[in-house]
Amino acid sequence: MASISQKVGRIITYWILAVSAFAILFPVYWTITTSFKDPVDVFTYPPALIPYVQFKPTIDAWQRALIAPGAWWGLSLAAHGSGEVFHYLFNSAVVASLSSLLSVGLGSMAAYGLARFEFKRWKNRDIAFFVLSQRFLPPAVIVIPLFVLFKTLQMLDTYPALIIAHITMGLPFAVWIMREYFLETPKELEESAYIDGCSILQALRRIVIPIVAPGLISTIVLCFIFSWNEYLFALFLTQYNAMTIPALVAGATHSGAPLWWDIATMSTIAMIPPIIFALAVQKYIVRGLTFGAVKG
Amino acid sequence: MRFRLNEKNIKFVLVAPAIVILLAVAIYPTVFSLYLAFCSWELTGGPYAQIVPVFTGLKNFERLLQDHRFWRDVQTTVSFVVSSVGLEFLIGLGLALILNTEIRGRKYWRVIFLVPMMMTPVAVGYTWRMMYHMERGPLNYLLSFLFIPAQNWMGDRTIALFSCVLMDVWEWTPFMILVLLAGLQSIPVEPYEAAIVDGASKVQIFRYVTFPLLYPVIVVGVLLRALEAFKVFDIIYVTTAGGPALSTEAVTLYVQIIGLRELSLGYASAVAYVLLIMVIALTLIFISWMRRRG
Repeated sequence: MASISQKVGRIITYWILAVSAFAILFPVYWTITTSFKDPVDVFTYPPALIPYVQFKPTIDAWQRALIAPGAWWGLSLAAHGSGEVFHYLFNSAVVASLSSLLSVGLGSMAAYGLARFEFKRWKNRDIAFFVLSQRFLPPAVIVIPLFVLFKTLQMLDTYPALIIAHITMGLPFAVWIMREYFLETPKELEESAYIDGCSILQALRRIVIPIVAPGLISTIVLCFIFSWNEYLFALFLTQYNAMTIPALVAGATHSGAPLWWDIATMSTIAMIPPIIFALAVQKYIVRGLTFGAVKG
Repeated sequence: MRFRLNEKNIKFVLVAPAIVILLAVAIYPTVFSLYLAFCSWELTGGPYAQIVPVFTGLKNFERLLQDHRFWRDVQTTVSFVVSSVGLEFLIGLGLALILNTEIRGRKYWRVIFLVPMMMTPVAVGYTWRMMYHMERGPLNYLLSFLFIPAQNWMGDRTIALFSCVLMDVWEWTPFMILVLLAGLQSIPVEPYEAAIVDGASKVQIFRYVTFPLLYPVIVVGVLLRALEAFKVFDIIYVTTAGGPALSTEAVTLYVQIIGLRELSLGYASAVAYVLLIMVIALTLIFISWMRRRG
């Protein structure tokens, strides 16, 4: 009898798993297929689920988004209308790359200092926890002072403004998580390098950085993803010149009825880079997102 | 004398840039925001616009106390956080327990889970807006097979907040699963063997072995999710935008409306500060928990 109840248990288990997988993937599938639909196929009833069977796929929306005069050369020339997605993609790439590199560069320096040297007046752990606490600051709280600051400096709608705003998220994260990676590297390796006559910089370059490289790269990638996906700062601090892709996608419904096929295309374009990057560093994601509290 | 890097000063050279930047871009705005919370600063109103903030003492907070819309938003935010995180925890724990048994293809599950978590939140919002479409959306169509009548997911104010919760659950339950699964897999085998030898039932094993050993990971997962859920903005902004009848307006959306649309920066700062206080409480709990971890 036990075997029957075991079998039933297994079947139920697999059913639950199948339903969950469907629930996770179906909305994404829906967005991607919608981007290949003709306007008439978007809201048919019953909904057209299967390409070639229930609707004829078309690349119209993708063509409108990607192929347009000026889309490939002179990124900023692709002003309004079709092909403008490149302007926003370029902005997102600039802001996300620079903010993540700056965050992780400066953050790793601080992390190394905190991991290897002793600060007498303040305890290292207190400094580290102070930095970590900044990661939880809601963007809604600091966005108004930043808005005022950049308005006064006439820096609204520029790359530096948005990069600085994104560093407030990336830097505390990088300091905290890189400190954990440095603490895990045995100190003895560096000490033996010093004995062999290496300077601090040489020891860093030849020994420490190669060891923490996977952690370093995964931290850069996570900071990149945070920045790529961020929207509230972009909404307050940019208008057009420095506007990033989430702002383009979010603004798609502001003028008239939503053009779902176009929105689906933009959404698909926006989500591709973060998902691909996340897959590349998936081993480190749980650790990163839990600030090292859970080792995935 | 030439400045030289040595054991004594290199630590300051390493740490100073990060600390100075944090002071400038995180601490300064936080303090300035606190000052603004006690000021009136209206950037609209043509000739009556205030060029500089005018200190008005507790006026903003007096207004805050009487602002029914604000208190309703606080309530909305708290119910959003409690129900999203609660559901994410329950579903996450269930699925993590299932995936922790001998399941084939766990590798592929990790890939599937990453998709909603890493997808741009604005795109998550639009995806669900299409799913939720009342007459022609796929969600109502799929539910019709389960004999569930069509719902006006985003338009009915009794369920609109639940629809927002559902989006957050879709986006972040995978995080909970991955965290709890990592926790489950770090539990050693010995306590289980001992429990089986002692003749414990499955429920008892969960209650007295799994749960206490998983508890620290549960706390981390739930606290981190709650901290993030308090900041919810994107997914609501592009779907219901706080409506219908303000039933899904989280505090962050109110800050955006007062701050960016009405350009009433003093009052917006006061509202934002209440959000900060809610988040600080949770942050302190999280940090003291991390400290104890050692």
